Amino acid sequence: MKRRFSLNEKQLGYAMVLPSLILIAVIILWPIASSFYNSLFDYRLNDPAHSQKMLSTTIDLERYADNYYYLDRSLSEVEPYSPDVQEDLTEIHGKVTAQHDNLLSDTEVSEKYDQVNEIIASYRPVTDDDLKYIKIKDEFATEYKQLLGNAQEELNEITATLDGEAAEEILSISSQLDTLDQSILESNFVGLANYWKYLQDSRMWKSLSNTLIFTIVSVGVELIIGLMVALLINRSFKGRGLIRASILVPWAIPTAVSAMMWSYLYDGQSGIVAHFFEQIGLISDSSVLLSTAGGAMFSVILADIWKTMPYMALLILAGLQTIPDSMYEAAQVDGANKWQQFWKITLPMIKGSILVALLFRTLDAFRVFDLIYVLTGGGPANGTESISIYAYKTLFSQQNFGEGSVLSVMVFIFVAIISIIFIKFIGSDLFAGRVKK
Amino acid sequence: MKKTGFGFYFFLALFIFIVMFPFIWVFLTSIKPVGEIFSSFNWFTSNPTLESYESAITSRPLFKYMLNSFIVASVTTLIALTFASFTSYAVTRLPIRFKGTILGLILASSMFPQIAIISPIFNFVSDFGLRNSYLGLVIPYITISLPLSIWILSTFFQKIPKELEESAKLDGATPFQTFRKIIFPLATPGIFTTAILTFIGAWNEYLFALTINTEDSMRTIPVGISMYQSQYAVPWGDITAATVIVTIPIVVLVLIFQRRIVSGLTSGSVKE
Repeated sequence: MKRRFSLNEKQLGYAMVLPSLILIAVIILWPIASSFYNSLFDYRLNDPAHSQKMLSTTIDLERYADNYYYLDRSLSEVEPYSPDVQEDLTEIHGKVTAQHDNLLSDTEVSEKYDQVNEIIASYRPVTDDDLKYIKIKDEFATEYKQLLGNAQEELNEITATLDGEAAEEILSISSQLDTLDQSILESNFVGLANYWKYLQDSRMWKSLSNTLIFTIVSVGVELIIGLMVALLINRSFKGRGLIRASILVPWAIPTAVSAMMWSYLYDGQSGIVAHFFEQIGLISDSSVLLSTAGGAMFSVILADIWKTMPYMALLILAGLQTIPDSMYEAAQVDGANKWQQFWKITLPMIKGSILVALLFRTLDAFRVFDLIYVLTGGGPANGTESISIYAYKTLFSQQNFGEGSVLSVMVFIFVAIISIIFIKFIGSDLFAGRVKK
Repeated sequence: MKKTGFGFYFFLALFIFIVMFPFIWVFLTSIKPVGEIFSSFNWFTSNPTLESYESAITSRPLFKYMLNSFIVASVTTLIALTFASFTSYAVTRLPIRFKGTILGLILASSMFPQIAIISPIFNFVSDFGLRNSYLGLVIPYITISLPLSIWILSTFFQKIPKELEESAKLDGATPFQTFRKIIFPLATPGIFTTAILTFIGAWNEYLFALTINTEDSMRTIPVGISMYQSQYAVPWGDITAATVIVTIPIVVLVLIFQRRIVSGLTSGSVKE
C-alpha cells in the first residue's frame, strides 16, 4: 500500500488554526490598527488636500502637472490690459517658472513629471501612488506656497481695479494659482490633536453620557426583569415550547425591523403605545415620546429592553437549571425560607451565568447603533445620540476619517475596559467547557 | 416541584401578551385600510384589505432585499463555519500550544465594536471595487461571525468523548481522517446550531450593510426596511406590511429550531 503524506496531530492542529488566525489578523486586528493610525491625521475624504495621509510634505504630481500646464499657458497668453498689470503678471510668471524649474532640477522628480504628463496627455488617471505622490523638502514647499499665495493676493487686488472681461480673466488666473497651491500637500499628521479636540467637545461628552445612561439603565432593567422571568418559568408547565418561542422571536428579528415597529408604536399621531401612555397619564401628550430628549431616551431604552430581555432570561434560566433540587430540599430541612434560599443558593449558583450574560449585553448596549439610528436618528437635538452614532456621522456624513476614527477608537477603548473588568470577575469560568484546565 | 396554579398562568399569559403585543398590533395594522391607520385606535378593522401588502412590495424591492440578505447570510455562514470547525477542533482536541491565548484572542475579536473597524474596512472594500456587491458584505460579516462561531462550536467539540479518537488512531486513521470521518459527523448537530445563530446574526447586521451597499438593489433587509421612512409622510401601512413579510421567515426559523437556538445561546454560559 502506498503511504500517503499526512500531518501528525500537532501539525494538523496548527494548520487548522492558522486560516482563522490569518483572517482575524487581516480583517479585525489590522483594521483596528489602521483606525488608530488614521486618527492621528487630519484625514478627510471630501477634501482633496486632506484625502491622503501624509507623514511628510508631498506634492501631488498629477494635479500639479495638470494645473501647471494651464497656468503657464494662461500667464503667457494673457492680454496686455495695462502696462502695470502686464508687468505684475510677467513678474509672477517669472517667479513661478523659477520655482517650477527648481522643482524639476531633481532628475528623479523631472523623470516622474514627464511620465505623469504623458499619462495626463492620454486622459488617463495616475493610479500608481509612487508616481503620483513625491516627497519634497519642507522649506521648498513653504517658499513655493508662499509665492503662490502672495501672487493670488496681488492678482485679487488688481481684479478690484478692473472690470468686465479683464477682471474675469485675471480672476481665473488667480484661481489657477490656488489649485496649484493645493497640489502641494503639507503633512497632515497631527498626532494626538484630534483626541485633544474631542476631550473638549461637548457633543462627545453628551454622546458618551447618553451611551452610559442607555447601557446602565437598559442592562440593569433587563437583568432584573430577566431574572424574574427566568425564576417564574423555571419549572415544568404546559406550554413551555410556546413561551420559549415567544421570547425568542423578539431576539431573532433584525434590530432595524424592531426599531421600525417601535417607531410606529411611539408615533405621536397613530402610535398605540404613545396613545396608551397618554391615556394612563404617564406622559402629557402622545407626541412627547419622540419629540423630547427625555421621551426619546425612554423610548429607545424600552424598545431595547423588549428586544433583549428574553436573551437575558434564557441565559439565566440555563443557569437555574443546573441547580440540583436536592440543594433546596436540604435548605428546607434546615429551615431556610424562600428569601434566604434565593440569596444563599440561587444567586451564588447562577452568578457565573449572570456575569456572562451581563458581559455580552453590556458590550452590545455600549456599541448600540442600529436601534437608535433607525428609531430616532440620534435626535431630537442629539438627545439620544450614542457615541457609535456620533462616530458614524463624523466618518460617513462628514467624510472626516481622521476625527471619526478618534471616536471609533474611543468606543474600542471603552469596550476593552468593560471587557477586562468583567473578565476579571468571571475569571477562567469563561473558558469552561472549551479548554481543559 | 413547584405548583403551577391559576396565578402562574395569568402572569405567563400577561407576559406573552406584552412580548407579542408589538407583533399583534403591527399585523392588525397591516390589514387595515390606510385611512383607518391614521384615524382610529381600533383593534380590528371591519374592512380587512391587502392593499398595504401590495404597496409594500411594489414601492420598494422588498423581495430583492430578502434575496440579498439570504445570499449574504448563507455565504457568510458557510465560510465562517468551515474555518470555525477546523479551528475549534484544533483548539479543543489537538495537542497544540497557546490554546488559551488563541481562544482569548478569538473572544476578544468577538467583542470588537464594529464601528472601530468600519472605516478601514470601507476603504479596503472600496479599493477592491467591492462596494454594492455580495462579497463586499461577506468580508466584513466574517469579522462578526467567525469569532462567534469558533466560540460556540468549541463547546460542542469539547463534549464529544475522547475515546473515539483513540480507537480511530488505533485503527490507523490519520488525524485529518479522524476529524473528517469520526468527529465532524458527531459534531454535526452543534455545527448546525452554530450555523443557525451565525445566519441570524448576518441576516440582522445593519452598520456594514448601511455603509457598504448603498445601491437600492443591493440592500439587505434591515437597511431596506428602514428606507420605507421618508422625510415627509410615513407610510405606516407599507411599513407594517413589510415588517410582517420579513418577520415570517424568522418566526418559522425560530419555531422549527427553538431548542437548538437555546442550546447554542446558552452553550458555555453555564458549567456542565
